[in-house]
Amino acid sequence: MKKGYVQVTDSYERIIHWTMAISCLLLCLTGLGMMFQSFNFIGYVFGGLKNLKLVHNFTGLIFAVSLLLAIRMWWKEAGVFVFPEDLDWIKAAGGYLWHVEKVPETGKYNPGQKAFFLVVAGFGVIMIITGLIMWFPTALPVGLVRWMYPLHALGFVAIFAFFFIHLYLGTIGNPGSVQAMFSGWMDKKVLTMLHPKWVKEMEHEGKLIVYGEEKKDDAHGHTA
Amino acid sequence: MTEKIKLYDDSKCTACRGCQLACKQWNALKATQTVNRGTYQNPPSLNPSTYMLIHFQDYVTKDGDVKWLFRKEACMHCTDAACVTVCPSGALHYNKATGTVGLDHDKCIGCKECVAACPFEIPKYDARTDKVYKCDMCESRITNNMEPACVKACPTGALKWGVKEDMLKVAAKRVGQLGGDATTYGDQYVKGTHFMYVLKEKPEVYADIHKDPSVPLSVTLWKGWLKPLSLLAAGGVMAGAFIHYITHGPKTPHEDGQEQKGGE
Repeated sequence: MKKGYVQVTDSYERIIHWTMAISCLLLCLTGLGMMFQSFNFIGYVFGGLKNLKLVHNFTGLIFAVSLLLAIRMWWKEAGVFVFPEDLDWIKAAGGYLWHVEKVPETGKYNPGQKAFFLVVAGFGVIMIITGLIMWFPTALPVGLVRWMYPLHALGFVAIFAFFFIHLYLGTIGNPGSVQAMFSGWMDKKVLTMLHPKWVKEMEHEGKLIVYGEEKKDDAHGHTA
Repeated sequence: MTEKIKLYDDSKCTACRGCQLACKQWNALKATQTVNRGTYQNPPSLNPSTYMLIHFQDYVTKDGDVKWLFRKEACMHCTDAACVTVCPSGALHYNKATGTVGLDHDKCIGCKECVAACPFEIPKYDARTDKVYKCDMCESRITNNMEPACVKACPTGALKWGVKEDMLKVAAKRVGQLGGDATTYGDQYVKGTHFMYVLKEKPEVYADIHKDPSVPLSVTLWKGWLKPLSLLAAGGVMAGAFIHYITHGPKTPHEDGQEQKGGE
């Protein structure tokens, strides 16, 4: 670890993130294998389309658990928009689309990240509910069950598209940020550029964990 | 092979159920334990080992007379078949030679998507084999120039198998002869079914019949719109990200001399 790096995630967050990410990608892949007959060949990897269906269904359960834990973990930070600062950021598109002198400062997660989180959380819950009904469709009236399929497909449209935005902005679009989900430590310079307000807040509260620096006050803000 | 359809004329049907038995025999389907439910209709509905069923109905006319109404229920073999549209594995398919809807059990993965999609609620799921079952219009017979087993067994001519145009003419003529509320059922739905009825009463009189069946809107929305949109949207996002990368570039801290780019 290099000097001047800041811890931005703990191992619990990273484990939940990757459990959700890997299960979600596996679900997208196996789902594509069933949605398009031209992608039926994906089934060969699992020893046939029937096994692919089983892998899809049970991976869905893993995704469901990790999603619920993620919502519990990130809701306060990423699930609620804070006005007016988030609105200012949205009006400036976060400085991503046109030149902005100074990108409006937001909390730990900017509205773009919040939007992604809410899309995954909202459509993810829809995927879980519709998916479970699709798994046991004979338990409910057919007129209701029929609508689970387009809803499941709608969730896929949204999550699959947003996944690529997330992939781009979390890697080459924002160099250095990917480390937040690998080592958990980010270059403070990058972090200060992307999340200035959060860094200031953490510094003010003495909670910022910087590599190679003694924490100013370990007990600050805590009773013990 | 010319397109053929199966025609059922309920005014000629005596509900002998010879067709029901012939279907079991040709398809080697097991008989199930029956229960006396106070009706000759047995089993009560289609199931994984019953591909066709004669419905028995006590019908009270406007004049207070009680009449038998019979109806043969089986796969209608839609031209625009929702089950084929939704099937993920290609197990449900059009029999190219005949236009009927075949079902390849080796390919069926038991997802039950066809069960919810079918506007006639025909495919039945068997949890024991994790597969779906339905009438395939005796594919093994019709592709060998034989008529379906049910037609072969029919002693009264209530079931006919023949060239579509001829059968439509026969049906229209029979409706004319019967008069009153007699009507055809099937040819006007889902771009024409390959199993159609001549009914002596209005369709809505018949118990458990599907009134104005059509490919469910949910299926069209799902397979016609959202399915292609999923790849289009993802492709659009990927293209957008690439364009963003080569025009705006990544966000980097000021100190690198690479002032955060924007605009041009």
